[in-house]
Amino acid sequence: MTWLTWRQHRAEMYTLGLLVAAIAVFLLAVGLPLHSLFPNGASQCLGIDVTEACSTAIRRLNEEHGYASKMLNLFSLVPFLIGAFFGAPLVAREMEAGTWQFAWTQSVPRMRWLAVKLGALGLAAALFAGIFAAVVTWYRQPMDVLDGRFGADAFDVEGLAPAGYALFAFAVATAAGAVLRRSLPALAVALGAFLAVRVFVGGWLRPNYQEPQRLVELVAAGDPADPGNPRMSTGSAADWTIATGYLDSSGRPLSLYDAVTMYSAAEKEGVKFSAYLHERGVQQWVEYQPTGRFWTFQLAETAIFVGLAAALLAFVVWRFKRRVF
Amino acid sequence: MFVFRIDSRSGVPPYLQLVQQVRQGVLLGFLRNGDRLPLIREVAESVAINPNTVAKAYRQLEQEGLVTGRPGQGTFVNETAAATISPATYTSLQRGLEAWMGRARAAGLDEQAISALFTSALNQAKNENIA
Amino acid sequence: MTATEYALRTDGLGKRYRKVWALRDCSLAVPAGRVTALVGPNGAGKSTFLRLVVGLLAPTTGSVEVLGESPATNTPQVLSRIGFLAQDHPLYKHFTVAELLRLGRSCNPRFDQGLAERRLAQLEIPLDRKAGALSGGQQAQVALALALAKRPDLLVLDEPMASLDPVARLEFLQALMGAVAADGMTVLFSSHVVPELERVCDHLIVLNHSRVTLAGDIDSLVDEHRLLVGPRTTGDLGRAGTVVEATHSERHTTLLVRDGGLPAAPGWQASPVGLEDLVLAYLRRPARNDVELAEVSA
Repeated sequence: MTWLTWRQHRAEMYTLGLLVAAIAVFLLAVGLPLHSLFPNGASQCLGIDVTEACSTAIRRLNEEHGYASKMLNLFSLVPFLIGAFFGAPLVAREMEAGTWQFAWTQSVPRMRWLAVKLGALGLAAALFAGIFAAVVTWYRQPMDVLDGRFGADAFDVEGLAPAGYALFAFAVATAAGAVLRRSLPALAVALGAFLAVRVFVGGWLRPNYQEPQRLVELVAAGDPADPGNPRMSTGSAADWTIATGYLDSSGRPLSLYDAVTMYSAAEKEGVKFSAYLHERGVQQWVEYQPTGRFWTFQLAETAIFVGLAAALLAFVVWRFKRRVF
Repeated sequence: MFVFRIDSRSGVPPYLQLVQQVRQGVLLGFLRNGDRLPLIREVAESVAINPNTVAKAYRQLEQEGLVTGRPGQGTFVNETAAATISPATYTSLQRGLEAWMGRARAAGLDEQAISALFTSALNQAKNENIA
Repeated sequence: MTATEYALRTDGLGKRYRKVWALRDCSLAVPAGRVTALVGPNGAGKSTFLRLVVGLLAPTTGSVEVLGESPATNTPQVLSRIGFLAQDHPLYKHFTVAELLRLGRSCNPRFDQGLAERRLAQLEIPLDRKAGALSGGQQAQVALALALAKRPDLLVLDEPMASLDPVARLEFLQALMGAVAADGMTVLFSSHVVPELERVCDHLIVLNHSRVTLAGDIDSLVDEHRLLVGPRTTGDLGRAGTVVEATHSERHTTLLVRDGGLPAAPGWQASPVGLEDLVLAYLRRPARNDVELAEVSA
């Protein structure tokens, strides 16, 4: 059974292994010069007063490695590819070729067949995605220090989450394959479901894994400020800012309309907007997730996707038990 | 080794075809005392026939006394009391029958009618023998 | 007879897909050692029946027992005693023949690699060739060799010869009958072709409109049926037994009857019926709408 699983899926193993290896080699090639920009580590370059060398390094980082963010956003599909390419054909290919009748009439009970396949291929998917994430995590290390790890180009491709995504993609593709009985449509359905769930979780659930921390302070006369968005700092660029806003002197939230009215008034008076706000005792607030919560959030995100994967695989097992084929 | 053949479309049950072929073989001297018939498995495989059918044919031949099964060795042709006929006699009988059929056809009988006539004559002969 | 002397036994077996019954009220028993043909038109439920027998499907109603065990339990024990060759003999096309043998060995404790290799060598099928590159007849032979190497007590084949040319059909039958003679296993295969059955089968199941309409040893089935020919009658003939099929011309009536004697009325003649005519008569019978209606109203 182990041999059969290997023999049947070695093409996917080779292809996906090659994909992960190619990404690793590429990131290693572009990552070494990136790391060499910060010979003493990027943490030396944190804060406002940085050395000449640091500001040069940061400038070169932006100029020479500015594509990194876009590239990593694209890479967030890699866990999907890994999971779905293992999952979609798992049941569907047997259905397409009629070989399910051959596979499930050997002396291996079909539930065991399913358990071995789900176990081995799920593990392989998680492992590949884990290796991918480890390489990306290494590559992004200086950027993580400077910009934090909560951006989509970091959080989605680093740490544990990609393994969770890959497992989820594996499960959703397997389930789609078991229902649709065709590999390609299963792949398409899995992609749609994967993107929808990722967008929903990333956009609506993730900011709330823990109660955000809140800072409130009087607007200082010299602060950079605009009516829609008080550019209030949490003290670290690595924190994840969820929301910002203004409160009037009595603590009542200001609407955007109020803020714009004040902005026009300030312009009419010819004073800086921040000074105008300061005079009137307006406070600014920020809600954020501190950078130190990264691993908590990774665990929560991973747990959600592993949980969804488990539910989908339970559905596949249930279908097998019911013998709907 | 004796070779069987089966005609699926003849309408004659397969076991009977096997029996008839052995009878004819003995009659014509193609099968002689002590010859071994092919094993059931060999017949089943070579003519693609149910082994139970072969076994049934061999049982019938045994009952008729034409052959004897020896466990572990096979099925062997017995010394036959009935005289074998020479191929020449066989051929001349066949010719006679063919000539008769020519006459029947000339008289306007079709295949079915000829077959019916032949069968009825055969049955009558059989009944007279028994009587 | 005890249960284990039957290779296959079903009792009230039925299978429903959503609202459609693919098979219903199927009760029969096939003694061990028989070569059984499952005959019926396309869509009669043959594949469903066979999949229930090998445990690929679970029954909706009733039960099925293979050698005293329920295949629906899907235990390694019961699976190892059943060999199955699905329609169009599906194989992993990108596996070489040798790899398919390895698959068989790794998935079946009783797998007889030597037997499979000998069969394939006899047929001159190269082990290093991919299954997809073999002819249809060779693929069927590989699939048969794999099923036989399981050393099953019951071998089930779904339309094994439907996609084969005449030469390949004969070769396949030769291999199958040779294996039956050597191992004495029970064979159950479906077919919608009636000729050729007589030489390979000794037991028959006719499936029509999702129901078993005839089942038994071929010799006794043929013995039990008579073709009666006499003057045209549409009324009751009393002693004629169960009328399977009646055809009327202007002046005379032909009846296929089961367990029937010659009617007392003058002018009737009885003659035996051939297997092919017998099967065709059962296949021509219309669906049992009366039964369906009765069940709906009940």
